[in-house]
Amino acid sequence: MKHRYATVLLAGALLLGGCGTAKQAQPAQVTAAEAVVQAEGAHNATDVMYLQMMVAHHQQGLDMVRLAERKATRAEIRTLAQAIDVTQADEVKLMTGWLQQWSAPATVDHAPSAHADHGGLPATGDEEIAALKQAKGAAFETAFLNLFVAHQHNAVEMAQLETTKGSNAEAKAFAERVRASRADQIKQMLQLMNS
Amino acid sequence: MRRSIAYPLVVAGALGSTLVAASPALAHGYVSAPPSRQALCASGAVADCGAIQFEPQSVEAPKGQRSCNGGVAGFSVLADESRNWPAKAVGSKVTFTWVMTARHRTSNWEYFIGDKKVATVDGGNAQPDAVVTHNVDLSAFPGRQKVLAVWNIGDTPMAFYSCIDLNVGGSGGSGGTTPPTAPTTAPTTAPTTAPPTVKPTTAPITKAPAVPIAQPGAAWAPGVAYRTGDKVTYAGKTYQCRQSHSSIRSWEPSIYTLALWLPL
Repeated sequence: MKHRYATVLLAGALLLGGCGTAKQAQPAQVTAAEAVVQAEGAHNATDVMYLQMMVAHHQQGLDMVRLAERKATRAEIRTLAQAIDVTQADEVKLMTGWLQQWSAPATVDHAPSAHADHGGLPATGDEEIAALKQAKGAAFETAFLNLFVAHQHNAVEMAQLETTKGSNAEAKAFAERVRASRADQIKQMLQLMNS
Repeated sequence: MRRSIAYPLVVAGALGSTLVAASPALAHGYVSAPPSRQALCASGAVADCGAIQFEPQSVEAPKGQRSCNGGVAGFSVLADESRNWPAKAVGSKVTFTWVMTARHRTSNWEYFIGDKKVATVDGGNAQPDAVVTHNVDLSAFPGRQKVLAVWNIGDTPMAFYSCIDLNVGGSGGSGGTTPPTAPTTAPTTAPTTAPPTVKPTTAPITKAPAVPIAQPGAAWAPGVAYRTGDKVTYAGKTYQCRQSHSSIRSWEPSIYTLALWLPL
């Protein structure tokens, strides 16, 4: 399994190299390259747990931003949601690729919100996402921005766990990028919320 | 896996008891709208706040505090009245929105103006949602006010503190986060005419928010509104924007951001 996966990655790399030389690379082919980044080197249980938690967290986040792409009134909010959608979708592929490389499952054994009561796996509640689906207009924007600020705060907090307790260099660097990008997204959303 | 999930809990417990700063572990909550002082720091509206700008949810201290920083030395900027905290214009009925990042069982929420308690909302010792809103009638307190909002945790001796500066009964609506009561005079913020689809490069720069518009072929920078098709240089290479966005840290062109930037 592992070997076959590596072969696929190699093919992707060759494809990228090949088309980059002549004409302009096509987006679809370039996108295939993100899996080339492999998490080589040792990893520990925190690395695995962090990636598993983040895969679940990302998928919940994607549900929310995809609502905002359709339902937000302000163009700035729709644009932010679209940019988060495409970047987080790639991050999910990256993380699941690493977990696969480590022969670890990409899913946690409970629903994302199962551990919320003791702080183990903070997550947006299913009911809140359901309510978000019903909200409209300005009320939707307010609900989305606040829920997503909370959601991204959780991402920052989990990144902190990985950077202090993880061991794999790629996974820790990923957590650093998450920490920076989510803090800046929170900044933008607080501005949008109170403008 | 289940066992290792319990691991961060130990860390959170240790932090909670000793109040180690600079470690925004699994914490907590703050008032996002109308913007609390820590929200103003986190949004960049008030500069040079120190550590609180990265963890506005972490103003945790024993119950019974009455200062904006809860007495936490590392967050003393929040209690610094010389910072000229901007006051949000609101109606006389205000909707306060809390963002929760750890859904602690809740004793109650309390709101104070000066020494006077103006509202208490029972938490029923239950877990709150990730976002909680309270409607508080402040009609007896017109003009500029500093509201101290307190989230009292049900199963620990701790509380979380947020101060919100308001101009009550001013021209504004109810704090920007009211569900249906939206008298937020739309015209002022309405000219968001910029459609999601990108106009020609000569698009009128009508919306002039804080975000500058990209200059053709310039070096990538954070805090710039890039549109699909814009070209930037970064680390000696040229990239084309594939998805409009306002640039932030870690969204620079790289192998990790191919969804945003196409290497040319």
